[in-house]
Formats: sequence, C-alpha cells, structure tokens
Amino acid sequence: MGFLVWLEESSLGIFIRESLWGYPIVLSSHAVGMATVMGVVVALNFRALGYAKDISMLAFDKLFIIGWIGFVINLVSGLILFCNTPTTYFFQGSFQLKIAFIVAGGILMKVVMNNVRGVGAEDMMKVYSGACIACWFGGVITGRLMAYL
Amino acid sequence: MDYETYAPLASWFEATWMGEQMRNIFWLFPAMETVHFIGLTIMFGSLLVIDVRVIGFGRFINMRAALKFIPVAIAAFTVNLLSGIAFLCADPFRYFPNIAFQWKMGLIVIAGLNALWFWFGEHKELQQLADGEDAEFRAKVIAALSIAIWVVVIVFGRMIPYVEY
Repeated sequence: MGFLVWLEESSLGIFIRESLWGYPIVLSSHAVGMATVMGVVVALNFRALGYAKDISMLAFDKLFIIGWIGFVINLVSGLILFCNTPTTYFFQGSFQLKIAFIVAGGILMKVVMNNVRGVGAEDMMKVYSGACIACWFGGVITGRLMAYL
Repeated sequence: MDYETYAPLASWFEATWMGEQMRNIFWLFPAMETVHFIGLTIMFGSLLVIDVRVIGFGRFINMRAALKFIPVAIAAFTVNLLSGIAFLCADPFRYFPNIAFQWKMGLIVIAGLNALWFWFGEHKELQQLADGEDAEFRAKVIAALSIAIWVVVIVFGRMIPYVEY
C-alpha cells in the first residue's frame, strides 16, 4: 500500500493526472498497442486453429516480433496509466482480472508457439489456441470495463 | 460543422429504436464498446497479416493465404460499423460536432478508398507472388498507408471523449 501511495504521489502520477494532454495521449498509445498485440495474437491463433493453413507458421514468426512491440508499448503506457490512481486500480476487480487474463494469455501464447515450432503435442494445440484467444479477449473486455466497474 | 447542418440528421439518429435502446439499457453502451474493441483487434490483426506480407517484412508468408484475411477484416469492419452506428444513435449531438469523430470518419473513408485501390489495382498481381518474392513498390505504399491510416483512426477514436467542449 505504501508503494502504491508513493507511486500515486510520484511526479509521473501527478503528470498523468494533471497534464491536459498526457492522459489522452498515453491512453491512445495504449489503444494502438492493444490493436497491435491483440491483432497479432488473433492472427496467429486463427492460423493455429486451422484458418489460412497455407501460411507456414514459421513465416508467421515475423508477426510475433510486431506483437512484442505492441506488448512493450502497452506495458509502458499501461504502467504510466496505472500511476494515475494506483491505490484504486490495484484493488479493482476488473483490473485484477485483466492482468490475470493477460498473464494466462501470454503463457498460452508461448505454449501455442512451442507447439507450432514442433515442441509438444499437436493435438492439444487447438485447445490451447482457443483458450489463448479467449484469455486475450477477456483482457480486452475487462480492460474496457475498468471504466465502469 | 454548423449546428444547422447536422441537427436534422442527428435528430433522426437520436430518434431511432437503436438510440433508444442504447440510452435505456445501462449495460448496452459498455457492451457495445467491448464489441467495438474486439472488432478493432480482429480487423487490425487481419490487416497486419496482409500488409506485413506486402511490405516485405513477412515476405515468406504465403500471399494467397494472407489474402484470406481480407474477408475476416471485412467481417470485423462490419461489426465495428454496426457498433459504431449504435454509439452514434445513442448521442448523435455529441458525436457530429466532435472534431476527433469528424477526422476519424474522414480517415475511414480514405482508408476505404485505399482498400479499393488495393483490391482493384493490386490484388490480382499480388496473388501471383511466390513465397519470399517482393511486391511492387506501389503495393507496398498502399500497405504502409493502410497501417498508418488505421493507427490514426484508432487514435482519433480514442480521443473522441477528450476533445469535447
């Protein structure tokens, strides 16, 4: 709790609360990063689920790099947004769920990619892939609902 | 935009059944927002596959297979068009004069023209590309524009609540 209060009172917290354009700009970056990382997750899992099978999964790896760029944008912008009111967000159910979904989605994405690269059993890949996409959509839904719940 | 210009149209949107539902059912607006976000990610992801292939960064992605993401992008765009119209019906007098909304709509039209250019000008030729083969410079420009325009569309969409006066 002490750390959360410190974060809220940090210069970054003050900046994001008080600057006129700081919040909308960081929030927009968060939306663009979301589109990027989610877009890649969606495309990779569509492929893993059997859509557009003629794309070799290894060629799709390039997309994975772009996904990471989106993820980093969102990690950074997300941390800045978090400094807005960390003492509220940290205890907010929708925020906690969002982070849980992203962690689970990230792990599942790794599992799916391992399968794709020939490590692990292929018959389970579609199950993992379906769960992965569900987790990431869960992250988007709970993220959006943070404004309401 | 002048109030007199958009007022009749805005009144019409406001009076629709959809507008009434959006205002009366408290969870409908947030639900539509999450649908709009999910549609956005599916559409942007599909465009990324195609554009990354055409630009050349992912030149070993099979071109014909990448083009299978076009119907996915169109389906996701339709979802977002419909959920977007629902927002508009909910509070048209807020959206019409909103500068971010106006720019967003203008850019979507430009992105649409860019997509038509892609479809009618480049699509056939691109289908012949072998794996690893570079696309024409023209096609690369269209693909880069596509990503750039949609990124700005997302930014303006996100800005809508912040530029109200």
